[in-house]
Amino acid sequence: MGSETQRIALGLRQRDVVVLEGLVEQYQYRLVRYLVSLLGRRDGVDDFVQETWLRVLERGGSYDGQSRFEPWLFRVARNIALDAIRKRPMFSLDSIEGNGVRSSPASGEPSPYTLAARTQDAERLAHSLQTLEPVCREALVLRFQEDLSLQEISGIVGAPVSTVASRIYRGLATLRPQFEGETA
Amino acid sequence: MNVDHHGTFQRMIDESLAGMLSAEKEQSLRAHLSTCAACEEYLSATNRVIAGLSGFSFEVNPALNAGVLAAIRLQAEEARGILAYHTGTMRQSSVPFRNWAAFAGALWLSFVGSELVYQMAGRLAVPMQIVSAQLRAGVVVFWLLPSLCAALCLLAAPGQKRGLA
Repeated sequence: MGSETQRIALGLRQRDVVVLEGLVEQYQYRLVRYLVSLLGRRDGVDDFVQETWLRVLERGGSYDGQSRFEPWLFRVARNIALDAIRKRPMFSLDSIEGNGVRSSPASGEPSPYTLAARTQDAERLAHSLQTLEPVCREALVLRFQEDLSLQEISGIVGAPVSTVASRIYRGLATLRPQFEGETA
Repeated sequence: MNVDHHGTFQRMIDESLAGMLSAEKEQSLRAHLSTCAACEEYLSATNRVIAGLSGFSFEVNPALNAGVLAAIRLQAEEARGILAYHTGTMRQSSVPFRNWAAFAGALWLSFVGSELVYQMAGRLAVPMQIVSAQLRAGVVVFWLLPSLCAALCLLAAPGQKRGLA
């Protein structure tokens, strides 16, 4: 990991467009997936993605290459999304910061999870995921999709490891009943 | 086996999946799972949740990638342009060595020349009946100051050229 992250850090410090283009190719899908989990909607995500990459170009020098690139990237994306949410009434800040209000797509639009479900189990989870607390959904995606450690997630969301763990347990507890009482 | 006991192990299953369980507890959990159907089912349901999370595939608009790459290139070029402008400005605004050398020469000539003029004027002062203080003031005002200004103009010369360009 070391030499790869150092190469990325050097490229970002030098504002090397080729390095950045490689990162876009490599991380674009994961960035989209993370932002959908954070916002609970698909519309508006593309704008945040673009803004995130421009921020990476602008402030890439602050990535030191000592740790994995993904947590740093997700933290940049999260900050951009939260800043935008604070300015835009169309999103609710509470929905992200876990005060009980759920995020949902604009009325009449199908949930991004319903549209993105490719397996039967995913279809069963789609509705529950959409109504899950955003902070729990974010923690689940970062842990089980992005394969990040609790410490890395803690760094992204700016919450203690114990809080992140508790969000994961809460998320699993909400989704598990879908499959209880069945054999796999 | 009571419910609390299952609860403890089910909590351990969650902790294990979250990556918080110690190796020692992992071993104890594995031993329990091999004998407990309820906890095994709990684990199986949880694993299906995790597997289900992988069953989503979000479409990424190809235009998004193209747009992002174009925006990055544009911003990088703008940044390079700004950098080049500032570098160029610094380069232009810095005084070349030859101007400093000319300035030093002009300064030396100003003082040496003023001293010579002063000596010569001192010799002429007696036959021309000029007071020494007037002579000193005359040399400073009409010789030394103009020559110092001329020397300073050598340093300002590059800026004047840029302004006309």
